[in-house]
Amino acid sequence: MQALLSYDQSPPFAAPLRFFLSAPLFGVLAGLLAIVDGPLLFASRWTPAALAATHLLTAGFMLQIMIGALIQVLPVVAGANLAQPLRTARRVHPPLTLGALLLAGGFLSGTPWLLQGGALLLAAGCILFLHDAGRALRGVPSTSPTIRGLKLACGGLLATVVLGLLLAFALAGGWALPLSDLADLHAAWGLAGWAGVLLIAVAYVVVPMFQLTPGYAARPSWWLPPFIVGALLTWTAALAVDLPWLRISAQVALIVAGSIFAGWTLALQRRRRRAKPDVTLRYWQLGLLTAMLALATWSAGAFLRDPDPRTALLFGVCFLLGGVLACIVGMLYKIVPFLAWLHLQPLGRGAPPMNRLLTDLAARRQMGAFFVACALSTAAVFLPDWLARPAGLAFALASAGLLWNLAQAVRRHHAYRRAKLDA
Amino acid sequence: MSDDIRLLDARFLPPPEPFVQAMEMLSELAPGERMQLLLYREPHPLYRVLEQNGHRWQTLLRPDGTFEITITV
Repeated sequence: MQALLSYDQSPPFAAPLRFFLSAPLFGVLAGLLAIVDGPLLFASRWTPAALAATHLLTAGFMLQIMIGALIQVLPVVAGANLAQPLRTARRVHPPLTLGALLLAGGFLSGTPWLLQGGALLLAAGCILFLHDAGRALRGVPSTSPTIRGLKLACGGLLATVVLGLLLAFALAGGWALPLSDLADLHAAWGLAGWAGVLLIAVAYVVVPMFQLTPGYAARPSWWLPPFIVGALLTWTAALAVDLPWLRISAQVALIVAGSIFAGWTLALQRRRRRAKPDVTLRYWQLGLLTAMLALATWSAGAFLRDPDPRTALLFGVCFLLGGVLACIVGMLYKIVPFLAWLHLQPLGRGAPPMNRLLTDLAARRQMGAFFVACALSTAAVFLPDWLARPAGLAFALASAGLLWNLAQAVRRHHAYRRAKLDA
Repeated sequence: MSDDIRLLDARFLPPPEPFVQAMEMLSELAPGERMQLLLYREPHPLYRVLEQNGHRWQTLLRPDGTFEITITV
């Protein structure tokens, strides 16, 4: 009954899988871009290559995994069922994929219509998803900090999309807007309001569940996501009314909130009851430690009168690659083998266990490549002439390794399914 | 009243053990009996089973992050 029920409630495997399999391809592209453009990519966060790579990672790699994972976990962590998850996936995946590619192409080539087209397609994909997720979440009371966080994260995605559209059209059309300030705000909503709040909301469930840690205490759990969104609203208002001190206060609040969450989770993980550290735990430890390092870098940059221009790059590399992306990939190593196993359960006993669908050795090898890629990318901020291309190569290989591992799990899933159905 | 509540502390059990053990305990309860499940998350898949079977439940979030789900069959 248990297997039947779980299967019955789970969206079809094909719904989230398309996002999980296409996501690493954006990592491969970002790595290839670093190989081709080399030191240029690390010259400044504003170079066409850096903007293209950033959006391949955020609007490509990360967004695909986060949307795919939400389609899968909304019923489990929030009791919010998408009416037709496969239809949602089929409608959302093409514009997200094409949009991220066009946007990166637009940045690289400086072609206005590519920038605008890419931004419009990405926005269409996000809004289609938010529409369906909003319908599923509407009427679901916020009975847990996770549900409140998921709703706020959806708001964070909407704010990121609106600002992104504005920036793309302003850039393409040469509108007289404070592009640098707006880009910072867009990045803050994307990284903190969407990715950060989503990660926190999901961590409240998955960290105790998979790593057998104590739970997150209720009171700070309730307040952390709205605190982050409040800080972002304050930052937005400070920009609108031109109050630099208020903007800096909001940034400090974000740095504090992010550091508290990372330190809190690391402390809980030290008290875990699952003795053997698995790949997901290691990925999360890397992610949380690197995110704390990144936030320290940001605070140094925010308070120095004349910060080194590499500070912003260092923050971006650490927070995106080593921080958020590491946590997301770590989660993927729990989600994909579980789904591959779950969707074999209706075929009866004898299905291969999760660790045969995706072996620990393969996951550890890929993790090693990812860690090397993160270390090289961080070092490349200081030694771009020497390390930009090796970092790109390492990241492309790590992303390809992730795709290979996920594809192997899916291949084994289908092989068993075919054998069982033919028998 | 609390004496006749059966307790299942599933906070440090790996998935899917909490669900499996909760289902086992539920199947052992007679009509009108109650059980209390402790978890560090809200068990939405279990809620759905409870709803389908006409059971009632109440959830309380304790300060330490434990969800206390009291189920009456």
